[in-house]
Amino acid sequence: MIDQFIIELQKSISLFKPEATLAVTFVVALIADLIFKKSKNISGYISLIGFIVTFYFLFWQKGQNYGTFTQMLSVDPFALFFKFLILLTSFFIILMSFFSKELYINNRSLGEYFSLIAGMTFGMFLLVGANNLIMIYLAIETMSISSYILAGYTKEIHRASEASLKYVIFGAVSSGLMIYGISILFGLTGTLNLFEINNFIANNNVNIYALFFSVFLILAGIGYKISAVPFHFWTPDVYEGAPITITALLSVASKAAGFAVLIRFVKAAFIDNTQLDSEGIWILISNIDWRFIIAVLSVLSMTLGNLVALWQTNLKRLLAYSSIAHAGYMLMGVAVMTDAGVTAVMIYFASYLFMNLGAFFVVTLLANKIGSEDIDDYKGIGYRAPILGVCMVVFLLSLTGLPPTFGFIGKWMVFSAVLESNFIWLAVIGVLNSVVSLFYYVKIFRNMYVRGVEENENKENYQFHPIAIIVLLLLAIPTILFCLYPGPIANWAAASVGIFLG
Amino acid sequence: MLSDFGIVLLFLITGFVFVALGLITAAIIRPHNPNPVKQSTYECGEELISGSPWIKFNIRFYVVALIFLLFDVEIVFLLPWAVVFQQLGWFAFIEMAVFVLILLAGLAYVWAKGDIEWEKPKPYIPSLKDLVVERKQHFAE
Repeated sequence: MIDQFIIELQKSISLFKPEATLAVTFVVALIADLIFKKSKNISGYISLIGFIVTFYFLFWQKGQNYGTFTQMLSVDPFALFFKFLILLTSFFIILMSFFSKELYINNRSLGEYFSLIAGMTFGMFLLVGANNLIMIYLAIETMSISSYILAGYTKEIHRASEASLKYVIFGAVSSGLMIYGISILFGLTGTLNLFEINNFIANNNVNIYALFFSVFLILAGIGYKISAVPFHFWTPDVYEGAPITITALLSVASKAAGFAVLIRFVKAAFIDNTQLDSEGIWILISNIDWRFIIAVLSVLSMTLGNLVALWQTNLKRLLAYSSIAHAGYMLMGVAVMTDAGVTAVMIYFASYLFMNLGAFFVVTLLANKIGSEDIDDYKGIGYRAPILGVCMVVFLLSLTGLPPTFGFIGKWMVFSAVLESNFIWLAVIGVLNSVVSLFYYVKIFRNMYVRGVEENENKENYQFHPIAIIVLLLLAIPTILFCLYPGPIANWAAASVGIFLG
Repeated sequence: MLSDFGIVLLFLITGFVFVALGLITAAIIRPHNPNPVKQSTYECGEELISGSPWIKFNIRFYVVALIFLLFDVEIVFLLPWAVVFQQLGWFAFIEMAVFVLILLAGLAYVWAKGDIEWEKPKPYIPSLKDLVVERKQHFAE
């Protein structure tokens, strides 16, 4: 029996290479920082190399569908898609960090910063593949604890420490709720494995109120990570206080991991997987209609996010509320519970990666020059920083979801998936919200191009590092390119909806 | 017919009654003549820290506790490993070596950052020079 166990373990470890690489990157980056004290960025370079090696190992995982470590972690196309997104995000975040002035205050080295990004990526990799409630909890904690520290990394800045503390307190409460929900679910079904939970609910009579209560608590824990209303209270403060690069990382990568675990949790535990519908419509096994509950969360998130964003004057805070709204749009895709909906969410995330990282990178670069993230300080800046201005317009158009950009494809896919499943009221609310969001995105480039032109007329243009411009273009060009040619990503996402099912 | 949770309820009730009975009996029987020393909190024979309990105390206590926790948990993992070590062989040995090495890296990090140096707070001993300066300031005012 033990021989069999060891064979299983060896196969699991061979599929665990990307995560193992990240773990090694974390440790090596940390130690390198201790040895080479003179160099501030050494662990950043090591992390970049580690991420490239991880990319290499991820390519080899293509087409695998296996539950490693006795079904603790699954390696499947769905997880692979999200792993690529998360790794790409972390890669860009490290590149962006080299150009962020606020991180280097007091001439400090960023050893822990870069290695913690690797550690957080490791946590997110575990989260997207987790099949077991304890594994989900552990992965969420691995990811969260790194992000708590990263949010307060510039501890000299008062608002960063405040953000970090708020994040820890809200995070502790929500993970407490989550583990409480897990304990009730374990008590009801006697197992922590999602497939066995599915099996148990399908074949036994489970108390429906207890089931609803426990799953709602678990949804609260996941909802906190994807900052869905009403679990969003930490988002504006943390996004505003944390270093801009970390805000970008939280808004893209940890949200992607949260969505991945939400979809996997719902699909593996509450969907009848024995008789899969050919049209990709999921059949619920319990009497509780999760579609409606997630749809309500989605409507709340996008409406509140957009309406509050209208009044914001700080750009980071505005993007925080807009990210709550985007979580709402993406929840629409989850709420319909079809394969088309999940594909739409995945495409939306691919677009969200480029446009949101890009917008935050522009904010980083401008904050270096003008020392502020206030929208009123952006007056006429479009003329003084032409490339940044044009890129920012592209990213904002994409965030609104207007045609020549990738964001349009994402929104279009989500809305068409919602309409296909006859959730017409949901689609109407989504479209109305997109219209509202146009107002505050336009407010930003109105400030950049229309107001304060005379004041800035005779001033010199801002100078930016050429590599920073290249990184920016690497984010801006795909934002337009993938609208004109969305085929590869759409096909890849459609092929990746398959979740490992026991 | 008692269900499993019924037994828990019985235990709870018994617990409450037990404590309540003890306190009530003591309140009836005991003599009542308090004095300040009696009413102070017992702290293992130490002098009491008087005043508000909301005082600052040194953060190094947390650091030491955290480091202790790290190696405490290591033992929890090492013990079951040691029990089945002979059956698992070299594979398990290498796995555990990796685990311990990662923890050692943590120790090296903490060491290099100077977090396990126990810096004693230096008492302030006023020198003659300080006193003179203080005096001068006093007269200047």
